[in-house]
Amino acid sequence: MGIRKYVMLGALALASVSLPALSASAEDVTINVWSLDRDIQPAPNLIKDFNKLNTGIKVEYRQIQFDDVVSEAMRAYSTGQAPDIIAVDNPEHALFASRGVFLDLSEMIAKSSVVKPENYFKGPLASVSWDGKYYGVPKATNTIALYYNKDMFKAKGLDPDKPPQTWDELVEAARKLTDPAQNVYGITFSAKANEEGTFQFLPWAQMAGGGYDNINAEGAVKALDVWKTIIDEKLASPDTLTRSQWDATGTFNSGNAAMAISGPWEIDRMLQEAKFDWGVALLPVPELGAERSSAMGDFNWAVFANTEHPEEAFKVLEYFVSQDDRMFKDFGQLPPRSDIAIPATGEPKKDAALQVFVEQLKYAKPRGPHPAWPKISKAIQDAIQAALTGQMSSKEALDQAAEKIKAVLG
Amino acid sequence: MKRILSSITDGRGFDIGLVSLPLAFLFVLSGLPLVYNVVMSFQEVDMFSLGSFWRPFVGLKNYIDLFSQPETWPILLNTAIFVTASIAGQFLIGFGLALFFWVNFPGASWLRGLFLVSWVMPGLVVGAIWNWILSGDFGVLNFLLRETGVISGNIFWRSDPDYSLWAVIIANVWLGTSFNMILLSVGLSGIPKDLYEAAELDGANALQRFWTITLPMMRSTIGAIVALGLIFTLQQFDLFAAITSGGPNNTSNVTQYWAWDLSFRQYDFAKGATISVIMIVFVMFASVVYVRSTRHEVRG
Repeated sequence: MGIRKYVMLGALALASVSLPALSASAEDVTINVWSLDRDIQPAPNLIKDFNKLNTGIKVEYRQIQFDDVVSEAMRAYSTGQAPDIIAVDNPEHALFASRGVFLDLSEMIAKSSVVKPENYFKGPLASVSWDGKYYGVPKATNTIALYYNKDMFKAKGLDPDKPPQTWDELVEAARKLTDPAQNVYGITFSAKANEEGTFQFLPWAQMAGGGYDNINAEGAVKALDVWKTIIDEKLASPDTLTRSQWDATGTFNSGNAAMAISGPWEIDRMLQEAKFDWGVALLPVPELGAERSSAMGDFNWAVFANTEHPEEAFKVLEYFVSQDDRMFKDFGQLPPRSDIAIPATGEPKKDAALQVFVEQLKYAKPRGPHPAWPKISKAIQDAIQAALTGQMSSKEALDQAAEKIKAVLG
Repeated sequence: MKRILSSITDGRGFDIGLVSLPLAFLFVLSGLPLVYNVVMSFQEVDMFSLGSFWRPFVGLKNYIDLFSQPETWPILLNTAIFVTASIAGQFLIGFGLALFFWVNFPGASWLRGLFLVSWVMPGLVVGAIWNWILSGDFGVLNFLLRETGVISGNIFWRSDPDYSLWAVIIANVWLGTSFNMILLSVGLSGIPKDLYEAAELDGANALQRFWTITLPMMRSTIGAIVALGLIFTLQQFDLFAAITSGGPNNTSNVTQYWAWDLSFRQYDFAKGATISVIMIVFVMFASVVYVRSTRHEVRG
């Protein structure tokens, strides 16, 4: 091979390296965003608006399914195909943050004039933190409360303006409202063998002095006993054990359950579907005056540590945060921030429900944060289901869960 | 050099080349992942060490941990029940249908084709439909059973620990029956008609003809179907995900779903791999039995 050939090859190699670099600088920087938001939910709409601003950053969106968020993200990360930004469920944030998979945003947040930690509710902010640093930005927040059918309360001689306050009152009301002849159960909720089951049960345990690190506390056992009473007496459908919150609340909307424990994501659907008068109440407590607690749900934004454009990705996040005041008005989701007053929508049921949820949110606690949360959660789900199916007593089931969780916590 | 080349153009080298190509393909696409899976079961793996091969070896720890978990034996038992009942149900109903359509009435082949619809449908769709059918309060199945007086109260197929596994089995039998039927129909049509005519002349009744002609002639087809059935039922995953999610409290959990749950929901990839290794052992055992039972047919 002659020297000229080498020169040619060298030139070719140089050209192939520099060409894409040139063309890239001429084009926009592309930021990939993954989330589970559908077309009527925030992410795709905010991205559409952002792209119209022509900031030199082009955002591409991909919708992923709830069950796939972590496994997709994980596979993408380990093969180097991760997007720049992803929305993850808040209890799973620590899993990624603790291993440095998410970018530490603390410095950028400190300099930012848009993202300010002091603006956020404590719960959501705790869920993006790990080791004193911020590995993300809360996207939205939610919690659960008690929906109830006012028409049915009236029909059964209960005061529709006095929803049950305590566990005993709740069970008592459920007994009165249950009407097998009409296919009506007193209450509906979800005890499914996935994160939803944990999400629904944990607040009950926390109100009675338990918690994920103390799951077999006396109060937690009592809470599970209440659930067991509800299932054993068929005050709730036995399918509660396999039904998601969305499906469970569907039976409330269609008039087959008189009360439902669910979150604000149901409000819009309920306004459309429910042909009766309904209201929302705070989650009942063990006894009057007891500490309130609630579950905290919804997703956080995070930037993957191996992104090529951290600055641009953060700019996109800043845009999302700057639109937080639209979250409820346009998408029916609660912004995770205490500094945003939510405007009245003009829909009285929606506004009344919202006030209850905002009140309930004050007591919301994040699940974890712990890097091994899925294992902790699985132990809790198994305990709930073992007790509700009568395979173990509530005490035995929660003792076993406590043992499994102890092994995880180390 | 010349000898090697000429052996490729005319001789043993060509045969070896032909065989080694698919072998290499098999090794890369099936063998390596299998070995990788076995190696993983002896390592400590989490989601972030997934991309690298060099991970701490822990010996038999994963196996010991697995078998000290209280749910392991019930789940293995569930798997055995699921596989046996599914194969038996699919085969018996499939065989019955195949015999039925063998009687050539007008429109028989057309109807038989329609049965394949269930086999063509994606598992998740089948799961979603059966999820509604089996629903406790408003399910169609409960409605039918109640109206015909078989049951007095609703059965909570998905949520009652006594029924949850059977809910998935019912759906799986429905899903696999048509495939069994088609394969068995092909086997049936391969039996020469004159055998039956001769037997009939000798005075053999229908049952005798079935036992002495149909079954023996179908032996290799039946062997193949049972082996395929074992593979298909051991892979069945969608129905569990759609109908029960393995619940309540693992009463409908089987190894294949559990392996996924451990790997992709609890991120314990080593344990997920460990269960897969146990499943590989079972399949190997089953395939040895299958190969031995049909060996003389292959040679004959």
